[in-house]
Amino acid sequence: MAILRDEWLDLARKVDWEFRYVDDRDVFPEELSGSPWLPRSAWKDWNESYRTSYREYVANQRAKDESVRSVRDALDKVRLVEGLDRGWLQLVKFHNGAFVLAEYAAVPSELRMARFGRDAAWRTMATLGALDEIRHTQVQLLVGHDLLRLDENFDWTHRAYHTNEWVMIAARHLFDDMFVAASAIDTAIQLNFVFETGFTNLQFMALAAMADKADHHAFEKALASIQTDESRHAQIGHPVLRTLIENGGKDRAQFLVDKMWWRCWRAFLATTGTAMEYLTPLRARDRSFKEFMQEWVVDQFVKNLEEFELDRPWFWDLFLEEIEFAHHSLQLGMYLYRTTLWFDEPVPDAAERQWLQSNYPHWEEVYGPMWDRFDRAWEAEGEAGTIAYALPALCNLCQLPTVFLRPGRNTACTLERDGRKYLFCSEPCRWIFEREPERFADHRSVVDRIVAGQAPGKLIDLHEWMGLGASDHKGKDLRRGLEPWRFVPVPKG
Amino acid sequence: MRIYLFGYLDDDFYGRVVLTPAEHTVADLAQQLVSWAPVTCRGALFVTNEAGAVLDPAATLDAAGLRNGDIFTVATAGEE
Ligand SMILES: [Fe+2]
Ligand SMILES: [Fe+2]
Ligand SMILES: [Zn+2]
Repeated sequence: MAILRDEWLDLARKVDWEFRYVDDRDVFPEELSGSPWLPRSAWKDWNESYRTSYREYVANQRAKDESVRSVRDALDKVRLVEGLDRGWLQLVKFHNGAFVLAEYAAVPSELRMARFGRDAAWRTMATLGALDEIRHTQVQLLVGHDLLRLDENFDWTHRAYHTNEWVMIAARHLFDDMFVAASAIDTAIQLNFVFETGFTNLQFMALAAMADKADHHAFEKALASIQTDESRHAQIGHPVLRTLIENGGKDRAQFLVDKMWWRCWRAFLATTGTAMEYLTPLRARDRSFKEFMQEWVVDQFVKNLEEFELDRPWFWDLFLEEIEFAHHSLQLGMYLYRTTLWFDEPVPDAAERQWLQSNYPHWEEVYGPMWDRFDRAWEAEGEAGTIAYALPALCNLCQLPTVFLRPGRNTACTLERDGRKYLFCSEPCRWIFEREPERFADHRSVVDRIVAGQAPGKLIDLHEWMGLGASDHKGKDLRRGLEPWRFVPVPKG
Repeated sequence: MRIYLFGYLDDDFYGRVVLTPAEHTVADLAQQLVSWAPVTCRGALFVTNEAGAVLDPAATLDAAGLRNGDIFTVATAGEE
């Protein structure tokens, strides 16, 4: 007689036992399981709605992989990549470098929850989560690999995470804080609840919709299939948060949510915000980054906060002010320092400027004159007049350049601790640092390393140090390309 | 002795690292930052520290209290 799914599933996924010869605190030490450390009874109602069995998991994942592969196989090798918009290719290169190996870094974090999570169903779910993240790495490496024939810099899909390129130092700093160096509880709230429930929709669903319109179907299918996994294992976050709140851990929960919201916002404005509005072909844009943020991220997040009776982060007004401006300011910096990126950046053309103005009513007035200066500098001095030679001041928390919220409105600030002065792009970055200084104080930004003599101060050597040795590997102006003198080897010595 | 500071031009969009001798004056510092800017600044330059106090242009950086890692802002009277 067959046993029905509903009769065995809950028993199987909640299988757990008590230890006679060792204490729960030794099996689940606080450093790894997380704070506050709650008694076993506090976790007994932990549940999530997917309730996937391993057998179902394997069947589903196989079908997902097949759907990606069938799209890829349906196109012959040439049609897979030819005709893709040049700006779009830069976006894919940017996305691949910044995110693909972070998926791989998430594998041991899911496994940490699979071992040190306090409930059996949580551990079951995290085991599937670890398998998910392996798949996400592999499917995106495949997409990157297919693009190598077009542009060898697509090897940054794999390489970026292992370099000292400044965007990647910022990415690693974020992901280390979010899940690599985090307990099971902190990972569940920071990675599953804030990052995956809150933000990855934007990276995977919004970009997938754009990829469809940009005719990059292999990328589209890969992203969409990844997000179906993310929305499943992201379910780990809710019951962990609920358990914490119901057992006296509300302050800790609020702190982790606020901190990670700000950090994710910083990361997404720098990557998704700039890429969506400066690298995506106009035909592929049906909404602005601001609108995506509002509809897909902010509204959902506010609902989630209300559900848990958590407050909006204290910096909410600053965040709302930034949505209109911050990624446009950062884009100017990305263009100015494009030789330190592994992808190219454009000066927006007339049609793109019109689009920006129609979506951001202050854009032309605030940013128009700054881009005009680049155009004039190109005419007067060529490429050399459009590249920065001074080092940008970097935030000691998010590691991004301390760009003004908008020109004329500077939010940078400092903090002194143990005789060292720290610079921050904004009050929330300083606040995060101040809450856990021992966690962040020893890290050195690229600028700190240069000042301390640990990284070269000369731009040409710094490129090499960041992994961008060869001239044609460095980012360039997307439409104007490189000036011929760049290919003349630099004399050593 | 050289010190490093973080300089912000009032109407610009990001901060720059400035390495400079501590014996230089506040006016020298303002000129150094402005020379990197994409615009030509005209007229008087006002330098303020992080707290917003206006610094004496004739003072040395040391006398003006600027130390490693400090922020300063240069406000310009106008641009070309
Ligand atoms: Fe993932
Ligand atoms: Fe994930
Ligand atoms: Zn910051």
